[in-house]
Amino acid sequence: MNYKLDFTPIVDGLPILLGGCLGTLGLALGGMVLAIVIGIGGVVLRNSRIRALRWAVVGFVELIRNTPFLVQIYFIFFALPLAGIRLDPTPTAIIALGINGGAYAIEIIRGGVQAIGKGQIEAGLALALHRMQVFRLIVLKPALRSIYPSLVSQFILLTLTTSVASAVSAYELTSVAQTIESNSFRSFEVYGTVTVFYFAMSWLLMRMFGLIHAHYLSYPLK
Amino acid sequence: MINRRHLLLGTTALLATPSLVRPALAITPAEIKAKGKLVVGIQGDNPPWGFVNTSGKQEGFDADIGELFAKELGVPVEFVPLAVANRIPALTAGRVDILFATMAMLPDRAKAVQYSEPYVANIISLVAPKSTVVKTNADMGKLTIGVPRSSVQDTQITKNAPEGTVIRRFDDDAATIQALISGQVQAVGGNMFYVQRLNTAKPDTYEDKLEFTRLYNGACTRLGEKEINVAVNAFIDKIKANGELAKAYQKWMKLSPPTFPASVEGVPFTVG
Amino acid sequence: MGLPQFLFLIEGLKWTLALVAIAFVGGTVAGLSVALARTSGIRVLERATAGYIALFQGTPLLMQLFVVYYGLALAGLRLDAWVAVAAGFTLHASAYLGEIWRGSIEAVPWGQIEAARALNLRYLVRMRHVVMPQALRISMPATIGFLVQLLKGTSLAAIVGFTELTRAGSIVSNQIFEPLTVFAIVGALYFALCWPLSIWGTRIERRLATATR
Repeated sequence: MNYKLDFTPIVDGLPILLGGCLGTLGLALGGMVLAIVIGIGGVVLRNSRIRALRWAVVGFVELIRNTPFLVQIYFIFFALPLAGIRLDPTPTAIIALGINGGAYAIEIIRGGVQAIGKGQIEAGLALALHRMQVFRLIVLKPALRSIYPSLVSQFILLTLTTSVASAVSAYELTSVAQTIESNSFRSFEVYGTVTVFYFAMSWLLMRMFGLIHAHYLSYPLK
Repeated sequence: MINRRHLLLGTTALLATPSLVRPALAITPAEIKAKGKLVVGIQGDNPPWGFVNTSGKQEGFDADIGELFAKELGVPVEFVPLAVANRIPALTAGRVDILFATMAMLPDRAKAVQYSEPYVANIISLVAPKSTVVKTNADMGKLTIGVPRSSVQDTQITKNAPEGTVIRRFDDDAATIQALISGQVQAVGGNMFYVQRLNTAKPDTYEDKLEFTRLYNGACTRLGEKEINVAVNAFIDKIKANGELAKAYQKWMKLSPPTFPASVEGVPFTVG
Repeated sequence: MGLPQFLFLIEGLKWTLALVAIAFVGGTVAGLSVALARTSGIRVLERATAGYIALFQGTPLLMQLFVVYYGLALAGLRLDAWVAVAAGFTLHASAYLGEIWRGSIEAVPWGQIEAARALNLRYLVRMRHVVMPQALRISMPATIGFLVQLLKGTSLAAIVGFTELTRAGSIVSNQIFEPLTVFAIVGALYFALCWPLSIWGTRIERRLATATR
């Protein structure tokens, strides 16, 4: 039998594939926002005076970083309802992505905060800078600058991880691709094309993060 | 860290791959004998059709039929458990020689694979808790319904449910059944065994609500592969006649085989 | 959950470990070549490997598995399902490890390479005795980190129908209908494998940090 490549199902399905891309980006952005919130909150708790809180954060980070995302999302979707917590596929996916990304964000942000010397803060205060100015210019910006590349890599990884959310029937590119594939049986063509789409999305996000960096985090040139 | 040029290079590399694609080889019974084994695509998680038991062995109705066919050819059988959506791709891509994988006969599918004569019948229905009221197809509109992605249940529910019904598609029967037990969906599109399996989990809770269709399953081979299609049809005629099929029916379904139709519209049983 | 179900999970775990072992060994060999090509100074090689790395780091592992799984077969290679899955993971690992090792090769101080050159050491000798020993040491935390990623990543083989630990989990869960218990045990098994590795990685990282301070 001759297998001829046939891309017509993909051309026909282009509108819904693009819809799937939007779904993917939505999940990714939602996940990123939640990850940042969890990351910052986690670092605050990690530095708390209460020992139990510190240990809880360490335990959370280790638990999430050492188990597969698929198991985590299955757990939230299929097992939590037995404990009375029932979430729809999309919130499930965003929360699972946020929790997963958040655990990594905690470690990344903690590293950045630790790297700031106490002396710098004291120097800033000695120069009669306002406390907010010290925080913005001496703590936040340099810390963001140093953690930015790791954070961006983590977010790209998070975007790619959204593909797993199809397992709980969330609406995103992979589930759309699987639907088209199952109607056309053109698996190689469909998944090949969708891979290119994912590639384009990571490129787009890289560009976006690059622009943000250039705008807000680059060193002043004057 | 990746930059733009590298991404472009990557895209080029990816787009270049189709040139590597060559036709998959056709397979004949003689080649299977020469190769020394029959590779059967089967479901791995759908008892009693095809499932991997807890000691890791492939079992079920389809497994028995697959084993009989291998015996007919005089070679040992090797089972490849497949997710519902992977069955046809695994066959057309040459991962398996033949499917005994709960493949219901549908005209759309017949454009992608070659069906044999039917060897088993399947009833597709809507399954929900007894307390849920569903009398007509229109009643499905207010429910969230789970189905295994690209299964017959998917096709039937999509066709029969009113516009706007929330249909959630999962990777396989396991996840679909799980979703109903977890309460993530209020009903599922199932086959005639779903109720029995669901009630093992929560006794006396679930029942069939609507019957959509009665479907016949056939073995599938690649389009245009004449010899193997002839061989499998001869084999099915033989087990229908000598009582082997009835034995498998009794073992897995506690039923006698139905009368099979001589033809199914839009689904040829032989290579034309 | 009874003993037979637990043993079935352990059976799945074996496949998970086998996949990781193959992908890591294969990925090491291929990744080393990628890293060396990426730092070779030969423009074409550097560009090609940069594209290779970008491709794998810019697309989901799940898609890579799908494309390799179906693509290899269409290319006329009739492989067992698990060989195809292993090939997918190996390619994935080679790109990530290649990028990690590129970074650590470049982290070896330039002066050392110049010194080795001045001593008239050939490329292979230079790499083997001067650059790689240091680069490998530098790369240890990241390499171990990726090993953990890879271990977790094998759970995706479940979606293409490969019966490893996660799929064994959903099969068992579908037979005994105790998702909470089953997923907790599956999660615990992954944790038991990954956590010691993570701790090892952190420890080496700390030691390296104090050594360079």
